[in-house]
Amino acid sequence: MRAVLEVVDLEVRRDGRPVLDRLSLAVAPGEVVAVLGPNGAGKSTLLETVGGMLPAASGRVRVAGRVATVLQTPGLASRSVRANVDLAQAWFGVPRRQRRGRTEAALLALRADHLARRPAAALSGGERRRVHLARGVAVGADLLLLDEPFAGLDAETSRELVADTATTLREAASAVLVVLHDRADAWALADRVLVMMAGRIVADGAPDALMKAPPSAEIARFLGYDGEVRIGDDVVLTRPAHVRLDPGGELEGAVRSVVRLEDGARVEVATPRGTLFALHPDADLAPGEAVRVALVGGVRFPVAPGAGR
Amino acid sequence: MTFLWQGLQQAWHLIATRDPYLWGLVDVTLRVCALSTGIAILVGIPIGLGIGLGRFRGRGVLVTLANAGLGLPPVIVGIVLAVLMFPQAPLGRFHLLFTLRGVYIAQTALAVPIIIALTISAVSDIAPGLIAQARAFGARRHRIALLALREARVGVMAAIIAAVGSGLSEVGAIAIVGGNAEYSTQTLATAALERVGAGRYADGIAIGILLIGLVLIVTALLTVLQFAGGQRRVGRSS
Repeated sequence: MRAVLEVVDLEVRRDGRPVLDRLSLAVAPGEVVAVLGPNGAGKSTLLETVGGMLPAASGRVRVAGRVATVLQTPGLASRSVRANVDLAQAWFGVPRRQRRGRTEAALLALRADHLARRPAAALSGGERRRVHLARGVAVGADLLLLDEPFAGLDAETSRELVADTATTLREAASAVLVVLHDRADAWALADRVLVMMAGRIVADGAPDALMKAPPSAEIARFLGYDGEVRIGDDVVLTRPAHVRLDPGGELEGAVRSVVRLEDGARVEVATPRGTLFALHPDADLAPGEAVRVALVGGVRFPVAPGAGR
Repeated sequence: MTFLWQGLQQAWHLIATRDPYLWGLVDVTLRVCALSTGIAILVGIPIGLGIGLGRFRGRGVLVTLANAGLGLPPVIVGIVLAVLMFPQAPLGRFHLLFTLRGVYIAQTALAVPIIIALTISAVSDIAPGLIAQARAFGARRHRIALLALREARVGVMAAIIAAVGSGLSEVGAIAIVGGNAEYSTQTLATAALERVGAGRYADGIAIGILLIGLVLIVTALLTVLQFAGGQRRVGRSS
């Protein structure tokens, strides 16, 4: 099947400095692809270049059809919500007779239909984000690019919007490329996750597969593997779900810190082989308390040459 | 205070008797104001939008020049234009000096920078990200310009009001280029200046009162338009 987006050996420079470095990727029809990466990795630059807002120094970007970008800042015109969604379609070139129906469908899909007549200036931050996303959905692009669509929202509002967006995106365009800051959002939205570092794609795969088998220790740490112990000639990286406080566990250690959570506590355990983090149902542990730890998962990588113990 | 009282009495008398000289002044003043502001709108708003929305090298220099244009001394503009309109000068063959056409040009030269500079300023106040988002959805230039104009309409109307105010009350450039000739190029403002220069203070005050009344009426109408337009447009798309 022909890709909706094909990027080959793309290089982009800002102020003479390379931001994207011979980057290649393809997005197939029907895919929702999330792009993750630390600050400065080049995620937004990739979106801007694919969206035609930034020129490439070299390489090739091919989009089968039309592309629309929903920028990070939800800039709305000082008119009603409905007029804003209509206006986005006018910019995109949607025929006038189709606009009203698309506007209503997009607002309904993002559960913003009750806001249709409200002036944009009267919306809350979460409502502005909903309307902003509805504009992207309404234009009906072949490739929809989203730049951190949930930025700046409180946790609850973000969770609700992610849930509504997850069901809407697949019908919004032939394919979607979305830059995200929060890993959890990527897992909720995407069929495929790309991890970018220093202008290159360093990991590419289905979310679960990527999480189970990150290709390198650096990527594992980025994906939330926060525990690290050295066993033999390997380093074992763990997520809290891989670590259990167990009197029969194979590693001995001492509690270094306890952070209370709504459902228990996040416990940092210092062992002679490294530091691990575990979720514990009770916050009844105290710093300095001796514990034993069992590893029930994690990923193993050879120790990098020259790394100390 | 006597001058002021006499001035008020004379102003009332001029209005009540429908003095033809007075109405001639009002006619010239309104024509100069309307034509210069109209041309300044046609020329200045597109330039202001182009500079305000543009992303090109040298934009900062153009913004600075536009702002400097706000402070153009009218007398200097008048002298430069008058020199250019002398018979042997580049504009001499158009016979503009001491004519109403010359006055239109002088006032337009003062109004255009006002419109440009204040339009740039108005456009810079548009909601962050809105113009960039329109570009990201593929909006064509004319749609972006229309969007910017609508979003910045209060500021753009302020620019127009400032140009109208200048058009109604300008003295220096108009008097130099037009020669302040009665029944020809004289406006309310230059007539008041002439009366005061001749020591006829009460006459000057009377014309000044009429001029202030005209400025108040015109700017009040434009101010109503400035804010009423925004209310009507909520709920409409382009």
